[in-house]
Amino acid sequence: MSDSIDIPIVARGVVINPRPEDSVEFKGRGGAAFRSPDPHKHIHELVLGNTALLANLNDTKMQHIIEFLAEVGKRLRLEDNTYLQQSFALALQAGGLAEPVLRGVYDGMPRMFDPRTLTALVDKTIGINYLDGWVPGDGAYSNVRVRAVGTRQLHITAGNVPVVASLTIIRAALTKSDCLIKTPSNDPLTANAIARTMIEVDAGHPVTKHLAVAYWKGGDEFMDSQIVRTSRIDKITAWGGMSSVKHIQKFLSPGIDLTALNPKYSMSMIGREALESEEAMTEAAGGIAVISGFYNQTACANTRVVYVESETDDASLERVVALGRKILAAFQTLPSVISTPAAAANRELEAEMAAVALEDDFYSVGGDTLTGGFVVSRFSDRVEFFDKLNNRVVNLVPVADLLEVVKWCDDTTQTVGIYPESIRDRLLDTFALAGIQRMVPLTGGDPMKIFDDMHTLPPGAPHDGIEPMRRNVRWVIDHRPSEAAVQLSVVAA
Amino acid sequence: MAISLLPDNPGAWTYHRYQDLYAIPREQREKLQLEAVQLNFARMRDRIPALKKLADRQGVERIDKLEDVLPVCFDHRVLKNYPIQIIENRDFPRLTSWLNKLTAHDLTRVDLSGITTIEEWLARLEAFGMLVTYSSGTTGKLSFVPRSLDEFGPWRAHYFNVNHACSGVNPHTTKLPTFFPGYRGGYQTMLKMMSLFNVEMAGGPQHYHTLYDTHIPADLMALSGRMQSAEDKGEIGRLGLDPALLEQRRTMIEQGRRKDQDLGAWFSKMIEQFKGQRVKIGGTFSDLFRVAKAGLDKGKRCEFAPGSVMIGGGGMKGYKDAPADWEDQVKHFFGVKKLGNQYGFSENIGNAPLCESGFFHFLPYTVPLLMDQDGKAMPREGVQKGRLALVDPIPTSYWGGFVSGDEVTMHWEDDCTCGWRGPRAEKTIRRFSEGEGGDDKITCAGSQQAYNEFMEFVAGEYK
Repeated sequence: MSDSIDIPIVARGVVINPRPEDSVEFKGRGGAAFRSPDPHKHIHELVLGNTALLANLNDTKMQHIIEFLAEVGKRLRLEDNTYLQQSFALALQAGGLAEPVLRGVYDGMPRMFDPRTLTALVDKTIGINYLDGWVPGDGAYSNVRVRAVGTRQLHITAGNVPVVASLTIIRAALTKSDCLIKTPSNDPLTANAIARTMIEVDAGHPVTKHLAVAYWKGGDEFMDSQIVRTSRIDKITAWGGMSSVKHIQKFLSPGIDLTALNPKYSMSMIGREALESEEAMTEAAGGIAVISGFYNQTACANTRVVYVESETDDASLERVVALGRKILAAFQTLPSVISTPAAAANRELEAEMAAVALEDDFYSVGGDTLTGGFVVSRFSDRVEFFDKLNNRVVNLVPVADLLEVVKWCDDTTQTVGIYPESIRDRLLDTFALAGIQRMVPLTGGDPMKIFDDMHTLPPGAPHDGIEPMRRNVRWVIDHRPSEAAVQLSVVAA
Repeated sequence: MAISLLPDNPGAWTYHRYQDLYAIPREQREKLQLEAVQLNFARMRDRIPALKKLADRQGVERIDKLEDVLPVCFDHRVLKNYPIQIIENRDFPRLTSWLNKLTAHDLTRVDLSGITTIEEWLARLEAFGMLVTYSSGTTGKLSFVPRSLDEFGPWRAHYFNVNHACSGVNPHTTKLPTFFPGYRGGYQTMLKMMSLFNVEMAGGPQHYHTLYDTHIPADLMALSGRMQSAEDKGEIGRLGLDPALLEQRRTMIEQGRRKDQDLGAWFSKMIEQFKGQRVKIGGTFSDLFRVAKAGLDKGKRCEFAPGSVMIGGGGMKGYKDAPADWEDQVKHFFGVKKLGNQYGFSENIGNAPLCESGFFHFLPYTVPLLMDQDGKAMPREGVQKGRLALVDPIPTSYWGGFVSGDEVTMHWEDDCTCGWRGPRAEKTIRRFSEGEGGDDKITCAGSQQAYNEFMEFVAGEYK
């Protein structure tokens, strides 16, 4: 596609389209080009300089916010929402997800806006009573009341999976906060499409009035210097860590709270039981294929390195290679809504694989970057290019004892797949201390079920080891004279 | 063609004057190059185990046309495709058997007894007749270039030629006192070349002046990442490293902190001592600019004799926000007419000198090829931009075909205004990376390195 796509700025219920005298062109991924109004000319529409203007959202009951979001969610259906269709087309072209996978992600979007889920989410993490009013302390402390007050948030979002756009909008609305989203070049339209859908539902709703979505180039110092100011922003949530924070770093100052959802890297651990029978090996391979292959291995929760409890003699390694072959076979049978072969080879990774394939004393290599592949380390260490593993290629690493794996774990180790379940309790606490954030099962054999289980968490579960929503409100204390407490407790009695 | 060149001995071509080599018309040059590559490949195909494996896999038995060589060029990663664990465990027998697959020499005969460091291992190999050097990339992992004394003569002759071409001074006949603002000795490729060739060009060790008399041991380069993470965990004692190495590490870190002051003081001394004399100045351009800027800020200039020369390298990597006129400032401060420069990789003998018109010209014994994003050969005509592969038919103990990670713009016609013939690369060279665009693509999947950079950033240490 050589045509430039127009991407308006959506600011507080108003759609600002690019015009000949007010437009800038950007390059996206995969040759996409898009045109936006010049963000430099719209700073005041993007930020909220006056905190008093948050009063309308503060005064809106949570129930009404949830009802509004639920109404918006109903309209986020790919089949009849033209904004989403456009963003889908662009995400397909610009992002790294294949059509069936991306379609699955979009199809799941309305579910994220389910009112029961939203209610549970906000009540579990913050407590609706804290957002809707002042909550007195217990007994003798009832003169001290606490309220969770909305803030002015800047979200620098990740674009590898469009879920991030809806998640961000939901979280900001449920914290009764003003939300400015700087969209990424690999998904410039999803947040935009949701914001425009909101305008159609109710352009005057306080949630709509406190959402702004714009693209500007990372490193645009003018934008960063104008926006990242204590007078305009209270909280920044930056996905993708380094690349997104790099540019705004110099404008960060005390008073702006940064939540860095920094890059994550996930793995699986496979007990020796998996190598002891064909059935177990097939089941383990199926689970690894799902956790490595979903979203075509573009997400942080995807396994890239698989540690397998095994010795390193040739006979033992032959079993590990057999597991690798089974994983490769399992990739081919995954439902296309979970995972597909890559649209194009990954040359960088192919070169890495080709280089180690020449060294068969140390590595056994199978598959490729189109259909998926594996590199078995014939010694106890991961490959040095483990951070480039993609296109459904995994590195299988034999370790005598899975507890050794802790040395490769830290805060960047997000999700850990486990097989079989019998090894879990032995590992859980040690790995939790080492920094991992989630341990998930790989058992069962049915890819859809493993995939669904993996993605079914109770509303308000922690994210990357933290609770972002609790962190993104301001916890305010209303401390009254202590006589008031006595009076209140007398009244209560 | 005024000189006689035989395709079965391209090493001997290096003994000719570079002017004569650049004068060879394209048709003759390309015919010779094809024959030389054909003969070299035929000789090496089954002698170098790693090449045999690659050629078998690719089904390449012989070279009919030049492009046939691309599938059997080693990716630059091949020179470091050993597991890092071998280095961490200092398992020299395994490291040696790994290297053995890259050379025609029988390294099983090397005496490895009593070796505890990489430096000792490299010295043992040198005593055996190898000239193995290493370079370390951003990851700290060492690549080893499996060169040997077999290549020494052509390597030296070429290096002298390139120096002559860059500086206009014939190093065979004119010995100039040389300043190099860096380390001295060791097996890092550039430093080894300095010891092998630049000392001789300067007229002996007493005329070759370096900022430091020592070098960073290969062991420190290789283990720096590991040592840092062990130190963070308070486990450095458990690595079982030689206490002397730990002491060296402390010294090097200390030295690194002082480098700017040391550099300034050392250059001030050299500038004073060699006033009125003709000299040769080497180093990275970022260091040279630092010195020039500090001097000019104080209102100083060097007063070397006319005809002093500079040969630098490394571009302005490591210097943030260099002014547009940095080259003029360097020339003005040091009093040199031009900044000699060359381009190449440690894997290949044939570095290309920079011409008067600002292009790097390859000499006939280095055969460049360009690949597109899919690894396909690009036409060798007109002006093309692609990933550079260099085939070096000189080596007789290792395979000289390598694919680089660089994207270059190559001019294939013999039409440079400088008068030299031969394919030439534009001065702007960048890392080849595919499928670009969308320069602030953000994803949630990342690596330890990205994370560390990020933390440095938040801590305000990032430069």
